[in-house]
Amino acid sequence: MNLEQELKSALRRQDPSPDFAERVLARVAAAPLRTAPRVSQVWVRWLAAIAAALLLAAGGLEYRHYRGERAKAQVLLAVRIAGSKLNKAQRKVHMLAHRSNS
Amino acid sequence: MDFASLVRQHQAMVFSIAWHMLRDRAVAEELAQDVFLSLHQHLAELESPEHIQFWLRRVTSNRALDVVRRRQRRPMVSLENAPEPVALTPTGDPLLGTALKKLVAALPEKSRAIVVLRYQEDLDPAEIARVLGIPVGTVKSQLQRALALLREKLSRSLGELGI
Amino acid sequence: MKAVGLPVALLLLAGTLPAQQVKWNFDKLAARASDSTEVSLDGALLQLGAKFLSDEDKDQAKIKKLVGGLKGIYIKTFEFKKPGEYSASDVEPFRAPLRPPEWQRIVGTHSNEDGESVEVYIKNDSKGIGGLVIISTAPKELTLVNIVGAVDLDSLSELGKHFDFPEVEVEKKK
Repeated sequence: MNLEQELKSALRRQDPSPDFAERVLARVAAAPLRTAPRVSQVWVRWLAAIAAALLLAAGGLEYRHYRGERAKAQVLLAVRIAGSKLNKAQRKVHMLAHRSNS
Repeated sequence: MDFASLVRQHQAMVFSIAWHMLRDRAVAEELAQDVFLSLHQHLAELESPEHIQFWLRRVTSNRALDVVRRRQRRPMVSLENAPEPVALTPTGDPLLGTALKKLVAALPEKSRAIVVLRYQEDLDPAEIARVLGIPVGTVKSQLQRALALLREKLSRSLGELGI
Repeated sequence: MKAVGLPVALLLLAGTLPAQQVKWNFDKLAARASDSTEVSLDGALLQLGAKFLSDEDKDQAKIKKLVGGLKGIYIKTFEFKKPGEYSASDVEPFRAPLRPPEWQRIVGTHSNEDGESVEVYIKNDSKGIGGLVIISTAPKELTLVNIVGAVDLDSLSELGKHFDFPEVEVEKKK
């Protein structure tokens, strides 16, 4: 038996109920408008191009933005790793406390 | 592509990730609906069809993990009695398939998500790591362990069934 | 200064010294690891990164508040091809600097199921917690986290849980 082949077969995608899409669309239609209006992708690209040109002209501003975005990504990664490990330890402690109390 | 077409294109993927993680059809459909509702709210931020697919896999996996963890504090669902939805194409040995699905559903939650993304979505470890936001080394080690566990439990289950 | 007064003076000084990064030597393990990840954020980089965090995104706003009082975050993760490529004795040097009275181990957990252990140490100073170290070991992975500054453990843990299972997250595809 090839386990990996069997897993691919067992975990093959399956369809939800036949009216799933209709129910989603009905919920979307009924939901209050919470998002900002969609901006045309063409305009977004033009705006991004103009912004990039302005930033290039500003030189130092662009580099600081680049550094800032990189630093932000590092902060997010750091908090994710540290938080995840700390949470794991905390969960274990709670589990043990729960077991000893019950 | 309009939103309705996106739903139809991706509904099997989203539902199946939730279903294979949770083994409760009603909860899986509810979760899948919530994911598409969120997609509708965030569609403007997504840049390409690939980005949409990545986003859907990520949000579905993470929400399913959330449900699994909440359940572990308050078990509610009997996995033994979960009805089988209809497969898109016929599977191989149905008895083996059912046993495997149940064993996968009994894996620890992170391993379960990794196995589902690997074998349902055919993602490689690096892609799974990006979807779940965990190191690729963790994905590889957990996948190996999960396969070893499944092999061991499967041979015991099949032995009990006389296969 | 009299000899008997010196230890007391040192203890007093320890409470008032500016919080510092724990100095670890990674050379030995780096030579054996198949892969490693490093995050090194001193105070200036932390504050720069925090400025670019969104106030509208719930998680990012929480992170902004969390890192506001920190002086540094330093993380090193090693990945190994096979279990057994590093041992308990390789981890011991990382524990060596974390001794009382300056440091206190507050949590030590181990899972037989997946072989993972997590130890959490806090650094005491006059204002409360002045630093945090997490040592996380798994058969094929070792992670060391050092946070310098007054860290809110509950917020960090909550963010960790939320990051592991976010409700909504969008990642820009590279």
